[in-house]
Amino acid sequence: MTEKKLKVVHYLNQFFGQVGGEEKADIGFMVKSGPLGPGLALQKALGNKADVMATLICGDNTFSKNPEVSAEEGFKLIEPYHPDLFFAGPAFAAGRYGVACGAICKTVGEKLGIPVITGMYEENPGVEMYRKHAFICKTRNSARGMTESIAHMTQLAFKLIFGEKEVDLLSQENLPKPEEFKYFSRHLLRNEYVDKTAAERSVNKLLVKMRGEAFESEVTLPKFEKIEPPLPIKNLLTSEIILISDGGLVPKGNPHGLSGRGNLRWATYEIDTFIPEDFNSSNYEIAHTGYFPVQILEDPNRLVPVDAVRDLIKEGKVGKLHPSFFSTSGNATVSRRCAEMGEEMGEEIKKRGGINAVILTST
Amino acid sequence: MRLEIQSIDIHDLQPGSKTYVKDRVLYVNLKELEEILLKDSRIKSVDINLVYPGERVRIVNLLDVVQPRCKIDKVEADFPGFIGRLQIAGSGRTRSLRGVGVLVSNPYTNRKYSALLDMSGLVAEMSRYGKMKHISIAPRIAAGTEERDFEDAVKIAGLKTAVYLARCAEGHPVDEVEVYELDIPNLFVKSNLPRVAYFYQLYSPQHDHLGISDPCFYGSDVRNLTPTILHPNEVLDGGVVGAHTIRALDTYTIQNHGVIKELYRRHGKDLIFVGVVCGVANMEPVPRKRQAVMASKLVKNVLGAEGVILTKIHGGLPHVDLALVAEECEKLGVKTAIFVQPLISYGTLTETLLFNAEAVNLIITVGATMERIKIPLDAERFLGGTADTKIFCPDPIVQHAGDPLIDVEQFLIAGVHDHLGGANIMVKEY
Repeated sequence: MTEKKLKVVHYLNQFFGQVGGEEKADIGFMVKSGPLGPGLALQKALGNKADVMATLICGDNTFSKNPEVSAEEGFKLIEPYHPDLFFAGPAFAAGRYGVACGAICKTVGEKLGIPVITGMYEENPGVEMYRKHAFICKTRNSARGMTESIAHMTQLAFKLIFGEKEVDLLSQENLPKPEEFKYFSRHLLRNEYVDKTAAERSVNKLLVKMRGEAFESEVTLPKFEKIEPPLPIKNLLTSEIILISDGGLVPKGNPHGLSGRGNLRWATYEIDTFIPEDFNSSNYEIAHTGYFPVQILEDPNRLVPVDAVRDLIKEGKVGKLHPSFFSTSGNATVSRRCAEMGEEMGEEIKKRGGINAVILTST
Repeated sequence: MRLEIQSIDIHDLQPGSKTYVKDRVLYVNLKELEEILLKDSRIKSVDINLVYPGERVRIVNLLDVVQPRCKIDKVEADFPGFIGRLQIAGSGRTRSLRGVGVLVSNPYTNRKYSALLDMSGLVAEMSRYGKMKHISIAPRIAAGTEERDFEDAVKIAGLKTAVYLARCAEGHPVDEVEVYELDIPNLFVKSNLPRVAYFYQLYSPQHDHLGISDPCFYGSDVRNLTPTILHPNEVLDGGVVGAHTIRALDTYTIQNHGVIKELYRRHGKDLIFVGVVCGVANMEPVPRKRQAVMASKLVKNVLGAEGVILTKIHGGLPHVDLALVAEECEKLGVKTAIFVQPLISYGTLTETLLFNAEAVNLIITVGATMERIKIPLDAERFLGGTADTKIFCPDPIVQHAGDPLIDVEQFLIAGVHDHLGGANIMVKEY
């Protein structure tokens, strides 16, 4: 019995798709049958295991105008081929091309659940934007690295499709090692079995450090940017204040599924119904395992100072309380997601308009 | 102090009409063991079972795992403060049975973090206990016993079982003798070797069940412990035991302490092991700071260490306490290596750090103990509970021991992770 060949679709920009140079960067999507340009090298590397069925081409300018919309449009052309595997690029150091490769990989991967592989140089902006969503092989900064990059992308593809469970991983997933398969890690952390115990590693490394030599920490220290506090509000009377808390206050039943630790979500609740003046303390729960929540469960105003703001409004000291409250849970979570949530909340606040102050309460 | 651990390798485990070891086979008189455990009035009855690798059994509600050990030349000296009279552990001769463990379950527990172990399938492959033979004990509560009192009774029953089994191996040839000898007062010999101490974070009160801390140190809880100096042998020989939930740290793990054994192994060769300072995690900033300055003072100005390894107890908050101890040590010129436990499987390792101290720059990943794993049911039989026993973690998902597939955080599996550094695990970016 012969093994069924894998179906592959490949994405290229106008240049590598042999339509033309920068003067053709405004062309729209087109599909050509079979491999083309770098696709020929790709087909060669795939050998008889897979067929490049089609090549999708789009101009860099066209794609990068709105990468998400472009990726959707491109996806419609890819879908009829029912690919088992999707490649894009490699894009090397080309910024617009890198973003296009990343965006189309993201959409194809999310919609079809198949391996999506591209290649970029480390400084390509597409790396940070899409490393979470695609396997991005590390390439040189120019097309001189083409053969080598195609080989790495193909090896990675075979590992993803045919690979065994990874015995070094406690989770036993089939997850290729980034250093072995030369791709940018995708912001996942995994427990791995290694030769030496943590005890042996710690003693070895400490002795190096004590000798004053260069030592290797398993975790590098964070470099936090300094964030200047904004200017104070000039007139509270004309201000609308929104309350945000990371104390994990949620309605009973935790309808948005915030996690008690390592939480990655946030939710909004309407204050009038969520914390009315005659609140009932049995309506709340705390999705946060990092503190004793008894006092807050008795009275949620201890975490989210709605009562105090209401009083200040009555006393004529504050203008308005925004009708909804943003809730999240900040307990042993990852700083990247905290920053993302902050940005998401900021966007939402801007979108709602009229809010000019935020009170953040923590535990 | 000099401690000699005489190990006997146990190759098989069988019920017997008396308890003894012959030709490396441990025979257990289950009736006699039961009678010993029932002397505690808090225990109404006890389920005792022998379990073997490959057997399709799941043990739940695990509160502890203990290696059978007893003192050979001292009376009432086993686990001092817990079952033995109060005296300092860690000197003389100790008999230890290898390849066999005591699995201690509390079927009445209301805690969410009780551990589980399968003797077959994926869990057995992952856990060091999956390759060993065990005596599983699961006491039943006597009427009128308070929940916390009963937990203590179960804990003690595990320790008593361990001592009973080791005692009954008397007369059997010994497979290996290990000597742990450290004469701390006379370490000031001329040596150019670097002087290394160990800081042992023993406990965190953050999850105290019903507001009561678990006894884990010479029979006492350590909630308000001021950092103190321990001889490493005290840790290896029963002065310290696990808390009432395992969470990658049980009595067996402490009896075979990864960092202490490694420092002993290197002592006199490429370092001088100067001793142990122990402390705890704190709930408030002032005690936290007090802990840090006291501990660093002991490390630097009493033990005279130039370097220190710091290990932590399970949890997020204990990182803060541990990092503060490390920071104070670095201020005094003591180089540090600190263990961390990334609590989330998303992002980069850097982003998981729960402290930010420039001087604390050598960080060891002991394991992301909260990494999830899906475990298909392989067991046909349940000990320490039933197929309906709830398996918590991650919250708020509640699963049951008999579900066809459970999806849990790895620290719920006994014998996989080890906060004391004994496991060959590190966390990497993928």
